[in-house]
Amino acid sequence: MTWPIGEIDDVRRLRVLAAAIPGAMYVETDLPAPFDEVWQVLGDLEQALPGLVPDVRSVHVTQHHGERFRAMVRGRSGLRAPFDGILRPGWCLMQSRFVSFGIAVVPAGDGTRLGYMAGFRLPGMRILGPLLVPANRLLGRVVVRRFVTRFARHVDTGGPPM
Amino acid sequence: MLDDQRAEPAAAGPVRVPDATIRSAQRGDLIALHDLLEAITPYVRRLCWPIALQDAPDATQETLIVVLRKLGTLREPAALFGWVRVIAVREAVRVARQSSRTTPAELIELPAPDDPALTADISDVLDRLSPEHRAVLTLRDLEGLDEQAAGEMLGVPAGTVRSRLFRARESFRRAWRTEGGDR
Repeated sequence: MTWPIGEIDDVRRLRVLAAAIPGAMYVETDLPAPFDEVWQVLGDLEQALPGLVPDVRSVHVTQHHGERFRAMVRGRSGLRAPFDGILRPGWCLMQSRFVSFGIAVVPAGDGTRLGYMAGFRLPGMRILGPLLVPANRLLGRVVVRRFVTRFARHVDTGGPPM
Repeated sequence: MLDDQRAEPAAAGPVRVPDATIRSAQRGDLIALHDLLEAITPYVRRLCWPIALQDAPDATQETLIVVLRKLGTLREPAALFGWVRVIAVREAVRVARQSSRTTPAELIELPAPDDPALTADISDVLDRLSPEHRAVLTLRDLEGLDEQAAGEMLGVPAGTVRSRLFRARESFRRAWRTEGGDR
């Protein structure tokens, strides 16, 4: 018999997490490159995140155990914090004491669907969250432009990403 | 936090979620929220599929959002899956009713025992039931609830559940047997 297919993909799962985190910024977009090529880039956090994620200057993975990892992240704003994370193909979550962050990608036709989430873990975010909507919208546009530009360049050059 | 605690249930039934994971998730810990999603998603999908049919992915997503947003109201971690079940059934019925694809038929319109339509796919049979009837079937036949408990969950009297269940379940079983015979 045929049974309704109800699997939810990783982008939907990230959407669920973002909806549960008060004040989180969440955006989705389509990237002009196939999933395998996109994940080949994004799965290398130390190389990929600086330049794509606002404020991140460097990422250094210090521990790895299965899908779990710990990394030291440094930012241009002075951010210097250990992050715990989960990494598997198409799925990356990271959190420090004050910041939550996630990326999910799934195949979408010839391209790739990206979900991106970032938020603060601070008291009062349920109240402050609505005030962050304009800033989140602006930040979301910046993130989408960076990711699309990165992978458009990848396709245009026909070579490895810069 | 580096221990790989990912829950991979062999079946879609409830799996044990450590109380500490639930408590951490209630405090907004992203990794704990991830672990909780891993544990409950197969169970939510199993409940949403037969009720929401084509809209099962939307029903599953909406259920998980409600669960995570209201997680702080869950006082007893041991009650997690019963609590999730209530939300899943309600969300699946709601999403299915909102869908433009949902065209519930009266049970009287279900095929008779000798109707060739019984050879049709089980999902076709389910599709002819209203979301509420599919919810009754799911709660009784998949979850093993009695009429009283199913009625309370759906907000209808136990007698109504019993009478509606009878023909829905019979039609479902006939279709299932027919499908099984064809395989």
